[in-house]
Amino acid sequence: MESAQELGDEALVALCQQGQGQCFEVLVRRYMEKAFHIAYDFTRNKETAKDLSQDAFLRAYANIKRFDGRSSFYTWFYRIVVNLCLDHARRNGRVIWESLDQGTEESGTPRQLVDGQHQPDQEAIAGEANRRAAATLESMPNKQRTAFLLRNQEGLAIADIAKVMKTTEGTVRVYLHRAVAALRQSLVEFV
Amino acid sequence: MENRSAPLIGACKNYEEDLVLYYYGEIGASEGGAIERHLAQCSPCGKFVADLGHLLPQMAPKPELSQPFWDSYFRETVAKLDAQAERQNWWRRWLAPMNGWLVPAFGTMAVALLALVLVLEKGYLPSFTDTTSANIPAEVLVDSNQLEFFKSLDMLESLSTLEEQDGAKPERKTSREGDSQVA
Ligand SMILES: [Zn+2]
Repeated sequence: MESAQELGDEALVALCQQGQGQCFEVLVRRYMEKAFHIAYDFTRNKETAKDLSQDAFLRAYANIKRFDGRSSFYTWFYRIVVNLCLDHARRNGRVIWESLDQGTEESGTPRQLVDGQHQPDQEAIAGEANRRAAATLESMPNKQRTAFLLRNQEGLAIADIAKVMKTTEGTVRVYLHRAVAALRQSLVEFV
Repeated sequence: MENRSAPLIGACKNYEEDLVLYYYGEIGASEGGAIERHLAQCSPCGKFVADLGHLLPQMAPKPELSQPFWDSYFRETVAKLDAQAERQNWWRRWLAPMNGWLVPAFGTMAVALLALVLVLEKGYLPSFTDTTSANIPAEVLVDSNQLEFFKSLDMLESLSTLEEQDGAKPERKTSREGDSQVA
């Protein structure tokens, strides 16, 4: 396994396809944090995010022989994660987002949108901005939110997001711009 | 009230979209140069990019998870993969003997059907001394056998896919690290 860790995704996939299933574990290690974080961004729930992202690995492994290398492994895999998340969202209705100013489950402390000295009014402003940012993200159409989360949270290049979402780069650019416009709109009467 | 920092307001309209892409590093070198020259002389656009830098990273904070969380995540995932492989093997073992007779059975049926069609079309009944297969060119026989063989393979594939997809929580038959030899 020592050497497998140094192999690229494509080489690992090829080994899996030849029956060396244990090589898939390297891919799990490599992508588990990203897979979990995407699912978390969609669900805002740790347990659900864990289940969904693990399901994505199961599905990827079960279909590894169908992976034809036309896209990179990670765009193929991200598509599986995103599809599972969207299915989940469809089955469960609107994604229920915890208000961001409640903080995350782990840290328990609110993240501040406004940097600098935390005078009371600034903290109130930051809390309000957080709340609005969360509401904005929640109210975005699914495709817009998907594009935004993949770029903003996961750092995927627009070209890769287009592959994951099976759309054009131009469309992804439009989604990103609309996401920012929606955020601006929600902050327009703010301060 | 002082309008000190209404965020994301006031950038030049025709630059706004490019500024979002610029922030994400998605602008080509030539356009990037033009944007930087504009940014150097337009403070509202500069503030817009700075606002993006403040606001966007915090839109949806990620949970901070500890190494033990990831370790157990990994172990659990591997256990689920093992369980999936186990079930897949079980299906394959179960279907293996069936596959042995399904292929010729389907093949024979296809040949018989083809013969019947030929008979009905030509409007005559062959003599009993003719075997049905003797009336059919060898390539047709081979092809129909292959077709059915591929179909039965497809069936195996879709069965395993169904099996993979059933139940989000498979029972863990394989050993997980940590809980040793329960059975
Ligand atoms: Zn400007």
